[in-house]
Amino acid sequence: MSKPLLTIVATAAALAMSTLPTVAHSRQVTLTAQLKNYGGDGAYLAAYLTDAKGAYVRTLWVAGGKAKYYTHLSDWNRLSAGDSKRLAGVTGASVGAGRALKVTADLADALIDAGYEIRIDAAAEDMRDSPSEIRLPLSSANSGKPQAGKQYIQSLTFQLQ
Amino acid sequence: MSWKAIHRWLGLTAGTLALVLGLSGAFLAFDPVQQAWQAPAAAGDLSVATLVERVARTVPGVQEIRHVPSGGIVVFSFLEDQAKASYVNPADGRVLGPWQPSALPRWVKNLHRSLLLGDAGRWGAASIALGMALLSVSGLVLLLRRMGGWRQLAARVRGSLAQRLHVLVGRVVLAVLFLTSITALTMSASTLGLVALDAGTEPEVASVAIGQAALPAAQLVMLQGLRVQDLRRLNFPDATDPQDTWQVATIQGKSWIDRYSGHTLATQGSTEAQRIYDWALVLHTGESAWPWAVVLGLVGACVLLFWLSGVVIWWQARQQAPHITGNSPLAQADVLIFVASEGGSTWGFAQTLQDALRKNGHRVHTSALENFQTTAASRQVFVLAATYGDGQAPAHASGALAQIAKLSPGAAPVPVTVLGFGDRQFGAYCAFGEALEQTLRTQGWPALLPLERIHQQSSQQFARWGGALAQALGEPLVLDHVPRVPPTTAITLVSRQEFAGPPESAAQVAAILRFSWPAQSLGERLRGLGLAHFAAGDLVGIVPPGSAVPRYYSLASGWEDGFLEICVRQMPGGLCSTHLLGLQLGNRCAAFIRSNPGFELPRTRRPVVLVGAGTGVAPLAGFIRRNDRRIPMHLYFGGRDPARDFYFGPEIQRWLGEGRLATLQTTFSRVPEGGGYVQDALRRDAERLRGLVAQGAILRVCGSRAMADGVAEALDDVLAPLRLSVRQLKAKDRYAEDVF
Repeated sequence: MSKPLLTIVATAAALAMSTLPTVAHSRQVTLTAQLKNYGGDGAYLAAYLTDAKGAYVRTLWVAGGKAKYYTHLSDWNRLSAGDSKRLAGVTGASVGAGRALKVTADLADALIDAGYEIRIDAAAEDMRDSPSEIRLPLSSANSGKPQAGKQYIQSLTFQLQ
Repeated sequence: MSWKAIHRWLGLTAGTLALVLGLSGAFLAFDPVQQAWQAPAAAGDLSVATLVERVARTVPGVQEIRHVPSGGIVVFSFLEDQAKASYVNPADGRVLGPWQPSALPRWVKNLHRSLLLGDAGRWGAASIALGMALLSVSGLVLLLRRMGGWRQLAARVRGSLAQRLHVLVGRVVLAVLFLTSITALTMSASTLGLVALDAGTEPEVASVAIGQAALPAAQLVMLQGLRVQDLRRLNFPDATDPQDTWQVATIQGKSWIDRYSGHTLATQGSTEAQRIYDWALVLHTGESAWPWAVVLGLVGACVLLFWLSGVVIWWQARQQAPHITGNSPLAQADVLIFVASEGGSTWGFAQTLQDALRKNGHRVHTSALENFQTTAASRQVFVLAATYGDGQAPAHASGALAQIAKLSPGAAPVPVTVLGFGDRQFGAYCAFGEALEQTLRTQGWPALLPLERIHQQSSQQFARWGGALAQALGEPLVLDHVPRVPPTTAITLVSRQEFAGPPESAAQVAAILRFSWPAQSLGERLRGLGLAHFAAGDLVGIVPPGSAVPRYYSLASGWEDGFLEICVRQMPGGLCSTHLLGLQLGNRCAAFIRSNPGFELPRTRRPVVLVGAGTGVAPLAGFIRRNDRRIPMHLYFGGRDPARDFYFGPEIQRWLGEGRLATLQTTFSRVPEGGGYVQDALRRDAERLRGLVAQGAILRVCGSRAMADGVAEALDDVLAPLRLSVRQLKAKDRYAEDVF
């Protein structure tokens, strides 16, 4: 079975967040999430960044356009509630079962190897919500190493440029 | 635009698309039924804490317990990379088998809600739902109009099979279809982001470690107090996240519970919008109520029936639309003819008038009454207006009267002459024509001729009016109208029961003739081809060879009886009666059905008084024959001689014994001590008749005009002490005559 790669490129460099450490240099990071063939409708995914204390930093990508269903991405929906720009320029279509999501973002150097985590919440209609489906520490050692999610994500890889 | 036009065009457009939604919806209705069948019902009084305890013993790695709408308990677990969803038995926590949200492929649901076209499709599906709601409303208006109001809603439906199907199915499922469309719109409104359902941001909560192990579910006070029947969903705290909490969802809202202390950290109530949505979901999908899902599934499948019958009805109406030949353009015509017709027959008279006027060199424009206007070229205007039912305007011309009332005839008014068509059987004979006449005169339009009334499409009366018109116009004019005979069916004589006439006129024989009709294919029945359905009291039109004019006989049987029966008496020199009485068994004749809506018996338990003389007993015999519900029917029969013209005599005696007929009074005018005429029997029974009428009795009279007038006179006398009259009973649809 072919698995066409769904590629979405987000330029998130413009997102200068107040919570970010001083932006000296930034690096591009490419996230690739390959979904399992879970046999349901397209999955809603929210990829976001949390700091060493588990506090929300910024949203990297939200797949799925209906606000009605965001409550099913419950961790992200709760943590990012205070961020009025959480959807600015980082939304796209939901991701079908067996397909892959590939997004890129610019991250400040200071975020790497500093206890930050990439998290993804996932949900699909009539199926179980999977808040924090996957949590992947943002370290140079993890770059390029695929990791499996709990229910929907077969493997998540991030690649630091 | 009229309701009819709205219904027709919405039906042909949105209705066609609704077919997709209806059929896919019918399939989706299987799900709740299948789920209910599969799921063991939850023990409603069980506490959630106990349920959690049981489940935790049998299922490792539980993350969530859901009380699904079908009533079953589904446990979501995650163990060694394996996500599982299983039904469990709440009584002991035993795993019963895997759970799946639907037994149908995903695309069926997506076809139903978005036509497989994503968001654009969702808007499309919502538009179809709106169209369906409008179709239901316009359908209800048309249904009420057709049946004559709420009280007649359950009455017998007439017309071709397609029309009957459309109306019969309509009055059963209309309300459900409307509900389905409205709930679909409610659900679309939230999906399309027009209404927000959630109660805002979820609260920031975390379990606070206090140096002791997390409490087991059995010790959480809130879960102890919560019954499984009120639970929607319970999320377990994540094993690897010490700060995670229990999350409980019920119909009322959500709560978060600290895993160490067991305290409720926060609650969030459902919004009003969410509650409405929840109701809409149940009503639309039937989940949690499988019998309702069965109803919804059947109604969904009915959309196909509606669409098919609707298209056939539309096609039929197109075929039967009036075709006027030789029409001049409105602006050039010196004679204008405006027509108001319910069944279409008045258009035939208009065509005859138009042809006759054109022969004299006039340029004539014929149009429907709602287009009433005059131009600089017009010199004469004729309005041919049929009255529908009890004094109403035909549907297409319903607004015409009000429109004309606003029209000013101007400085040089053109004469407008009204010709009314109607049926004397109805209390408001030619009432619409009269209303038009009055309005036109009030507005100041002159008339060439005063209002004339035509009874039952009489060609003779029309020809007489033509004579008057010729005189008024000062030009030769002959109105020779040959009514268009509806398509006939060949019916076959299968039995005859002869009655010798009175001794002084040996020629006056009579017979009860019983016919069979040819079998019809479904296609023919749908399009209303072949013999129409009929009931006792309806009329059969017989077209004798060598004549274009049908004669009508009252039917003594209904379609359900399986035969067509009439009672025919030899008329002196009668073309049709001679033809019918001369038929041998196996011979055929040309026939068609004409309904007699005012005369049929309504479905009621009230007593029925039947008065018939001579062959006029035929439709009454038909009523009694079909009186399976044993409604108290009382027959007054008038004949001449019991030995010669007591038609249906043996049958009537049998029905009396079977209780189909409650009482029988006979009078025979030509025998000594015979009791005189039937109206004499009515006068003798005055006290009893007053009692029956006071009970709400319905009266049906059939016989000659003279007999019917005599009966009405006698009954007026009988009813006078009750301050009631035949006219009042007629107005309430309790009294009807079938005269010949």
